[in-house]
Order: sequence, then C-alpha cells, then structure tokens
Amino acid sequence: MDEYAIGVLTNIGLFSFVALSAYLLLIAGELSFGQQAFFGVGAYAAGIGTAMLGWPLPFAALAAMAAGALAAVLVALPTLRLRGLYFAMATLAAAEMARILFELFRWQVEVDGEPVGPDGSQGFRGIRWVFEQGVEPADFLAIVGLLLALVLAGFLLMERSRLGAALRAVGQDPDLAGALGLDVVRLKIAVAAGAGALAALGGALFAHHNTYIEPRNFDIMLGVHSLAYALIGGLGTAFGPLLGVLIDIGVLEASRVLHGYRMIVFGGLVALLLVFRPRGILDERLVHRLTRR
Amino acid sequence: MLVVNDLVTSYGKIEALKGVSLEVNEGSITCLLGPNGAGKTTLMMTIAGVLKPRRGSVRFNGEEIGGLRPDRVVGRGIALVPENRLVFPSMTVLDNLHAGAYQRSDSFEADVERMFTRFPRLRERAAQQAGTLSGGEQQMLAVARALMSRPKLLLMDEPSLGLAPLVVEEIFDIIAQLHRDGTTIFLVEQNAHMALRVAKHFFLMEQGKVTFSGDPGSLAEDEVIRRAYLGSKA
Amino acid sequence: MIDFLQNTLDGLALGSSYALLAVGFTLIFGVLRRANLSFGPAIMVGCYAAVWLSLRHAVAMPALFAAVVLGSVAAGLYVERLSFAPHRKGSAIAAMVASFALWMQLEELATLLLPQHIYPFPPLLDAGPLAFGPLVLRKEAILLMATAVAVCAGLRFLLYRTRFGVAVRALIDDPTAAELTGINVSRVFLLVFALASAIGGVAGFLIVATHEQVTPMLGMWSTLKGLLAMMLGGLGSLPGAVVGGVVLGLLEAHSQWYLGPQLRDLVAYLLLFVLLALRPPWMNTQSAS
Repeated sequence: MDEYAIGVLTNIGLFSFVALSAYLLLIAGELSFGQQAFFGVGAYAAGIGTAMLGWPLPFAALAAMAAGALAAVLVALPTLRLRGLYFAMATLAAAEMARILFELFRWQVEVDGEPVGPDGSQGFRGIRWVFEQGVEPADFLAIVGLLLALVLAGFLLMERSRLGAALRAVGQDPDLAGALGLDVVRLKIAVAAGAGALAALGGALFAHHNTYIEPRNFDIMLGVHSLAYALIGGLGTAFGPLLGVLIDIGVLEASRVLHGYRMIVFGGLVALLLVFRPRGILDERLVHRLTRR
Repeated sequence: MLVVNDLVTSYGKIEALKGVSLEVNEGSITCLLGPNGAGKTTLMMTIAGVLKPRRGSVRFNGEEIGGLRPDRVVGRGIALVPENRLVFPSMTVLDNLHAGAYQRSDSFEADVERMFTRFPRLRERAAQQAGTLSGGEQQMLAVARALMSRPKLLLMDEPSLGLAPLVVEEIFDIIAQLHRDGTTIFLVEQNAHMALRVAKHFFLMEQGKVTFSGDPGSLAEDEVIRRAYLGSKA
Repeated sequence: MIDFLQNTLDGLALGSSYALLAVGFTLIFGVLRRANLSFGPAIMVGCYAAVWLSLRHAVAMPALFAAVVLGSVAAGLYVERLSFAPHRKGSAIAAMVASFALWMQLEELATLLLPQHIYPFPPLLDAGPLAFGPLVLRKEAILLMATAVAVCAGLRFLLYRTRFGVAVRALIDDPTAAELTGINVSRVFLLVFALASAIGGVAGFLIVATHEQVTPMLGMWSTLKGLLAMMLGGLGSLPGAVVGGVVLGLLEAHSQWYLGPQLRDLVAYLLLFVLLALRPPWMNTQSAS
C-alpha cells in the first residue's frame, strides 16, 4: 500500500474518533458543536506527555483521555438542563473558548537544548515520539485501526446492553426516561465523559501522526464536520459515523478529479441525502431490518 | 355536505383511522362521540388537511378535499376550532381575529364587530394578549377566529375540554345559537350529556371506526354515555 | 473617560451591524425554529456577486448594493428549498446539518469564482470621519446605525400592521393553528427566508463597504455573530436580537480596548456560556428543541 493511501486511511481512522464522539452524544439526544475541543485537549495533553514529560505514548494517551473526560464533565455540569439549540450553543461557546485558550497557551521546556512545547498560535511542534520509536506509518495505521476496532466493539456491546437502551430512551424523550426511573443526570454526565475521552484519544493519536498541532486544527469546522459525519453515516449504529468519515475523506479525497469541487459535490449530495434519509444512511430503521434474524 | 368514505390515516405503521365512513348534512349539528384514543381528533385533523389520509375520501359539497393543504381546506369553506383551542398566545384578541380572516379579500371589519357583539367579553379584551385570557374566553376566541373565515362547515374538537360547568353551558348556548343562525356544525365531544342536548345526529367512534350512527333518542342515553367514555368492549 | 465614550460609540456602530445580522438570523429561527448555518454564507455569496460585478464593469454603489441583496436572497432561497423546506415537518437536526452542507458548498463555490484571499470593495462614502470634540465617528458608522434603526422600524411596521405580519406572528406562535386559520405556511416560510436574507444582505453590504474588503471568512463570521447576538438577547425574539447585537458590539469594543482581540472573543463566548448556564428568565430555554 502506498504512503498516500496509508495517510488517507489513517486520517479516516483519526477523524472517526471525533465523529463517534459526536454520535454518542447524538443518540443520547444532545446536539454538540463542540467535540473538537476535547480532540484538542487530547492532542495537547498527549503531546505534552511525550514531548515534554518524556512519557511513552500509551501512558500519555491514557492521560489525554482522562483530561478529555474531565474537560467534558466541566462543560456538561453547568449545561445539564439545557436542551436543543441552547445546549448546542453552549458547547460551541465552550469549544471556542478552548480554542482561544489554546491560542494563548505557552509552555515550553528544554529538551536536548531546544525549546519544546505549545507556543500559542504558533502551535506545538516536535511531537515526534512515534518517529523516535521507529514506528512506521503502516504500523501506526495498524495501531489506530486496532484502537478503533476496540472502540467499535465497545459501542456494539453497549448498543445491545441496557445502557444502550437507556441512552436511546434519554435521547428520544428525557422527561419520559426520567419518569421511568432512569437517572438522566448521571447518564448525561457519563455520556459526556465518555464522548470527551473518545475525542481526546483521537486527538492524542492525531498529534502524534502529524507531529505538529495548532489551535486552528480544533475550530468549529471540525466540530460541525464531526456532527455531519455522524448524521450522514447514520444514527442507527456506530458504523454510521465511520461511514460518514469514509465518504467524505475517503472517496472524495482519494478521487483527485473532484479535488477542487469536493465541497460543492459533497455539500450538495449531503443536503440531497438528508431529504430522503434524515437520520443518515445507516439509520435506525435500516439497521433494525438488517439485524433482524 | 360532508361525506367521509372509508378513510384511513396512519401515524407511521399505526393506523389511527381504520376506514371511517360518515356523513354530515347541511344545516345540522352532528356530534362525534367516543372514548379517548378512538381517533376523533385524527379524523378532524385529516378533514382539515393537517394530516394526509392513506386511503379513502373526504368530499365536501361534492368535491374531493382529502389530502388538500389546510389553507386550501379553509378556502373551500371548512374551519376547525382545534382541541385545546390553540389561540395565538402572544397576539392580541383582535390580531387573532385578523388571522382568522387571513384568506378574506374583502373588508372584514363588520365581521369583527359582529364577533364582539356575539362574544361581548372578547370586545372587553380586544387589545389583550390571547395567552392571558381564561380558558372559556380562549374557547370563545377560538370559535370567533374560526368564524371569521365565514365557513360553511364549522368543525369543533372538544369545545368543553378543561372548562368549568357554567362556562360549558355558555359555550353550548353559543353552539346552539350558531346552528340557529345557519352554520352547519360537526363537533367532537367528551361531554356526551351536553352534546346530546344540542346535536340532532351523532356518531360513535371506537378504535378508528364508526360503530354507531343515529339520533339522540335511538340509543338509551346511559348506553351511549357508557360507550362514549369506555367503548363497547367495557 | 474619553476612551470609554469612544469605545462606546464604536461599540454602537459595531453593534448595529450585529443587530442587523441577528435580526435576519432570528427571523428564520423564530419562524422555522431551526438555526440556518448558511445564513452568513448566503450573505457572502451576495457580496462576492457584487465584487465579481465590480471587477468586470465600473458600477455605481446602488448597483453593488442591489447585487449584494439580490445575491443574498437568491442564495438564501436556494438554501431554504434544499435544506429547510424538505424537513419542515421532520427533523430539525437534519435541517441544520443540511444547511451546514450547503454552507460548505456555497463557500467553495464563491472561492472558485474569486480565488483570491481578499478582495477590495469600493468605499461607501468619500469624505473622512466626523469629529465631535475629542470623539471620532466615521460617517459609515452613522449610516450603519441609521440603517439598523430604519430596518427595525420597517420590520415592526411589517409585522404589526400588515396582513403578512399577522401570518408571520401566527407562525411564530403556533404553526399548526396558523395552518388551520388558512395561512399558506410554506409560502410564508419562503417569504420570511427571503426577507431575512435581504436584511442579511443589507448588513453584509454595509459591513464590507465600511471595511472596504471582502474575504471568504465573511460567511462563517456573519453566522457566528448573528447566532451569538441572537442567543445573548434571548432566543427567537426580535427585540432581543437587536439588544443582543448592540450588547455584543459594546462588549467587543470595550473588551478589545482593555484586553486585546483574542480575549475580546473569549469574553463574548464566556458571557454566552454563563448566561446559558444560569438560564435567566428572559432566555426561555424550553422552546428550542
């Protein structure tokens, strides 16, 4: 497989994390324009871990996930009782605040005589742990793929479990769910934390794949894109968001013919698709039909 | 005047109307009774055009109106006073009446005056926001608003819902008056007792189908009331 | 003190442009109950149409103004037909994501036609700024504020003294009841969208003429400001939109002076987040799902 293909596949994998993050919130009934913030938190945290504190990537990634979960809970707690567009705006505001904070964040340490660390809007260079360990692009892709597979397995297990049913109940009708005895507050916080950790994991891997991150990577565009991937691919299954990412990055990026017209084609297709399938390609009805034995 | 034939309306896979057939004659007051969930509101909303029927027909003065947009239905001369009144809460009483006259191309100030004469309490509250009116006043406003389009057929969905007994009497007096003045009325009611006092003909609807048709004397009143509230399987 | 007054003046001018954007955004939100993420991009299409025109012919300001407004309305109607009309009785999220998809489409379309990163726009008025003692006010700023007032007055007239206004207010209150009183809801939605896009176009014209430049960032920027101002003023209310716009302008002008451009944006977002978290009574947070 050539390097370009490996690069495209890796990007598909990385953005799937943040798409799944938006998807998790969507099925619990929350529309979030802000998952990119946790992607960013994870990226910065993991970068700081490996490039400045000398931690190995697995440990830094775990720390990144914890940071993402914590940040997500910090956003979720004040916004618990918000719904619909109000909640969405709150997440947008929080994410933009995070991005501005990334622009102001400067912390550098000396590593081998060179300053390394986040440098405000100049970004964070030198996240080279993966290369220093001699991990080839194909190996990295395998790692991303493995982690994604684990996440997907987790999702599939959850969908069949009581937790999954509880989440979808809250997503459909939170008042009814509460009346039926579900602890809506605890579920919402748990979902927020999970989605935050998920996005952060993606960010951690993203930082190490690119070796350089800057605040602009984590702007509204990423957030709305993630939401779009989840919705287009379909809200019936965790494979939905993956399908969304695959369609955008995979098909259109790879077909260089469309390169200059990518968004014109993609944007129009998405709008048309949603007319006929407002809950995505792999929506609940289709998935139900496919999985019925 | 209104002929509904084998009407089927569904919400997704659930059929709320399973083949409803009934007739409303011009100049009459007809009442539709039935327990909760029988499909009465669904029927009204389908006739009014808010819901589209899956099958069957609705003919008004000989013309098919099934599946027409609600504003077209109003144009043909049918107005619905919906369940829960649905007045426009942030608009004044006067504005609500203006909304009712939306399709009128002529000057309707005379009609507004007539509404205020018929419903004096609305005149008092003309500049007040409709959301601040009492339940009974909102009901009157909803009726007045529907009348502003000069309908040939007035549909009413549960006009007595949530109102105190004295107010309910008032509302039914108004209904009887409207009928005397020449409006054909088709109403859905839970309050079978009051409804049977004004209606000349009634239908009983249960589980999406019409199960009885007749005049108020043709079935013992307690039998009717029992079936209206509980259904015949009770 | 002088600084405070000057910043307040600047803030009022800025706030007028935000108020116009917020009014346009809120008209769509109040009536359709959906957020139109292509609101800004439609305005950008209008501005780009005017730029394209001015690059090919020597045109006077009125023609450019017409181009901006007509372009915005055309783009707005396109968005309405493709991402809002099909979902009218369906999913709000689908409508919003569809509007986002068209945002991407419109932005790329504009940058394909005019690929440069920045385009000059002819200045609106020739003479320099006016001075009131130690305070300075650009003539464009006065025009902006006057336009905002005029648009609000015109809108108020439209909504409270015309038949169309009755229909719009009825739709805002209760779409089902509006249908039942004989209002052609689809047509009113279309007209409201056109009106909102036109107001956005007016705002856009004044903004790019004042700054004498157009960039592709205009799309996202306008949507964000409109959205932010609408939420600050209490979602879905037109007077609130105006207040929100003016407050946002004042806030930004003062924050920029004391804290610099980055913290200026931070303050606005922080205020919004805190307001949403505290949910003051004017914010009516129940009606937006």
